[in-house]
Amino acid sequence: MSAHLPTPNGARADQPLLDVRHLKKYFPIQRGFLRRVVGHVRAVDDVSFQVRQGETLSLVGESGCGKTTTARCILRALDPSAGEILFRTEHGEVVDVANVPRSRMRPLRREMQMIFQDPFSSLNPRMTLLEIVGEPLLVNGVSSRAERIERVAQLLRLVGLRPEFMRRFPHAFSGGQRQRIGIARALALEPRLVVADEAVSALDVSVQAQILNLMLELQQRLGLTYLFVAHDLSVVKHISDRVAVMYVGQIVELAETSKLFAQPLHPYTSALLSAIPEPDPRARSRRVILQGEVANPAAPPSGCYFHPRCPYAVDACRTLPPAWEEVQPGHFVRCHRARELTLPGVAAPPGNGKAGLN
Amino acid sequence: MSAPSPSVPQPSTLNPQPLLSVRDLKTYFFPEEGTVRAVDGASFDVYPGETLGIVGESGCGKSVTARSILRIVEEPGKIVGGQIVLNDGSRRVELTRLKADGREMRAIRGATISYIFQEPMTSFSPVHTIGNQIMEAILFHRRVSKQEARDRGVELLRRVGVPRAEQRMDEYAFQLSGGLRQRAMIAMALSCDPLLLIADEPTTALDVTTQAQILDLLRELQQQNGMAIMLITHNLGVVAEMANDVVVMYLGRVVEEGPVDDIFYKPKHPYTQALLKSIPSVHSTPRVVLPTISGSIPHPYNRPRGCPFHPRCPSFMPGTCDAYEPVLMTVEGSQKASCFLYQTPAPDHAVAPVATR
Repeated sequence: MSAHLPTPNGARADQPLLDVRHLKKYFPIQRGFLRRVVGHVRAVDDVSFQVRQGETLSLVGESGCGKTTTARCILRALDPSAGEILFRTEHGEVVDVANVPRSRMRPLRREMQMIFQDPFSSLNPRMTLLEIVGEPLLVNGVSSRAERIERVAQLLRLVGLRPEFMRRFPHAFSGGQRQRIGIARALALEPRLVVADEAVSALDVSVQAQILNLMLELQQRLGLTYLFVAHDLSVVKHISDRVAVMYVGQIVELAETSKLFAQPLHPYTSALLSAIPEPDPRARSRRVILQGEVANPAAPPSGCYFHPRCPYAVDACRTLPPAWEEVQPGHFVRCHRARELTLPGVAAPPGNGKAGLN
Repeated sequence: MSAPSPSVPQPSTLNPQPLLSVRDLKTYFFPEEGTVRAVDGASFDVYPGETLGIVGESGCGKSVTARSILRIVEEPGKIVGGQIVLNDGSRRVELTRLKADGREMRAIRGATISYIFQEPMTSFSPVHTIGNQIMEAILFHRRVSKQEARDRGVELLRRVGVPRAEQRMDEYAFQLSGGLRQRAMIAMALSCDPLLLIADEPTTALDVTTQAQILDLLRELQQQNGMAIMLITHNLGVVAEMANDVVVMYLGRVVEEGPVDDIFYKPKHPYTQALLKSIPSVHSTPRVVLPTISGSIPHPYNRPRGCPFHPRCPSFMPGTCDAYEPVLMTVEGSQKASCFLYQTPAPDHAVAPVATR
């Protein structure tokens, strides 16, 4: 009953849709009456990655690792402190989103849209679905009401809602339906890049599966590119082609999904994978429990930011910041010992597969 | 806490007497618009030294069940039926008979039965220090001096792995990280050697690595002092990891109950089966269509008649599932399910021809 949805293979690896280079976002820490700047929170600290046309790249990490800030910089909801965000537009032109004047952002915003986490607070309760989903159309010049109604009906059908619903208000809908409304709004302008920030985290499991299926199906039909920001690794494994793991403002590892899960090269990735509680009582884990807590991004440790918690740390880790290296083709990692360590990933499923399906 | 308290119960293999028995519990809410049957006939047992996992999606009544046991159901909610019996080996107390804010219930709440909630931020008072709040709990339940209470507080914080415990006693909740706050919450819950710890989504607000630390801590503490844990969560992974027995709830009813292995490997109720299939696992094939449960959880005012799951059920039998109410019955071994696939409808369980609101 489950059809396989392959990745669109029209992707051209040589020309990424999005090329983020050395992105930094520092937030000033201000103290006292004069709001003197006493330091900076390095929310995003030299992040580089590419997103290929038609793929799903996930940014994962724990709270405060900078994944959401990265996503918000890409959409220019925040102004980056440094770095380049090169976006290839519809017409093949490459624009640096980080440095264009805000006034020139509007045509670009049509091509990048966002799906939000909380379907309860991200929809205006005083607007009908027609207004919510039709607003981006109105703002971008679809002034004929009849045309908007028709387009909104199409969009609602696309996300699995009945067009008759368009006169209703968001409160009449369940969490899953509201998330569908948010997706319809995001797709109204036919964007090429969709940034989904924890798009399924607030949903119940049965509804979460429906929304994940919808997102995969829409990607397939419309050739969308997703930047998926999430903390749930099972969901990330399910939806992504490639995964980037963030820790204290930096990407510590980036690889194809299956590789990253099976053979992680960074000790943090490995620890993160072993911390996932598996829905299988016979797999009660022999887990690596990380000691301590995530470093403070306002005062990160010396050397490798992960060294105080890393079971494999050596002297070099305490003093030298590790470089961002392509250790294997397509597998990037920021760790001094990446070439010598063999780290546990997610083991092959025990027995004949997943619990509950036997 | 040096030696475990003398009241440590034996594991259930030696002492099959349940510590807590919930029978046919009904907790309804009566807002102006109508009646919400938040818990509608839930029954289960919690055994000493064991962990009972209660799972279900939002609105299934799992938190209201916990609040009913603690007798802290808020207006306009009320326990309208059923029994909650606490049996600590020497004494049998029917909690449902006690006055919610009476002396007896207050002596049990926070001491014999203790609890931790999802949001450690909102569970602590922002204007009192962590130490003051832990000491308050100890001083309320035990006859000790302030200094003794403070010493015990420091000892508890150390035991749950809070570094610099002495200093942390004088800090406020906002000065602690999420993980530390949850540890402090656990320290407070353990302050009076509870026999039962009710943990309502204790790790939901935490990151995975912190979650792993907290779950590990709970398991370790349980081994040390033999308390029973009632773990309420929507996360099936956490349940698989922690529980001995599992109760699956849907719309205020227990739809399935049994040992954790049976629930995950041989689920009987169609809802449990569908729930397990719909979660993506790190082991499953990526980018395939996930099996889903059709529809969504019904609105509380719009409760389906008969089996509450029938409108979404793939095995729906017209004329049976929507006309009779299934009961929780043994299906195999110690596994119970409330489903007509395993029982014939009893005429006295026919639902009234007009849907009740």
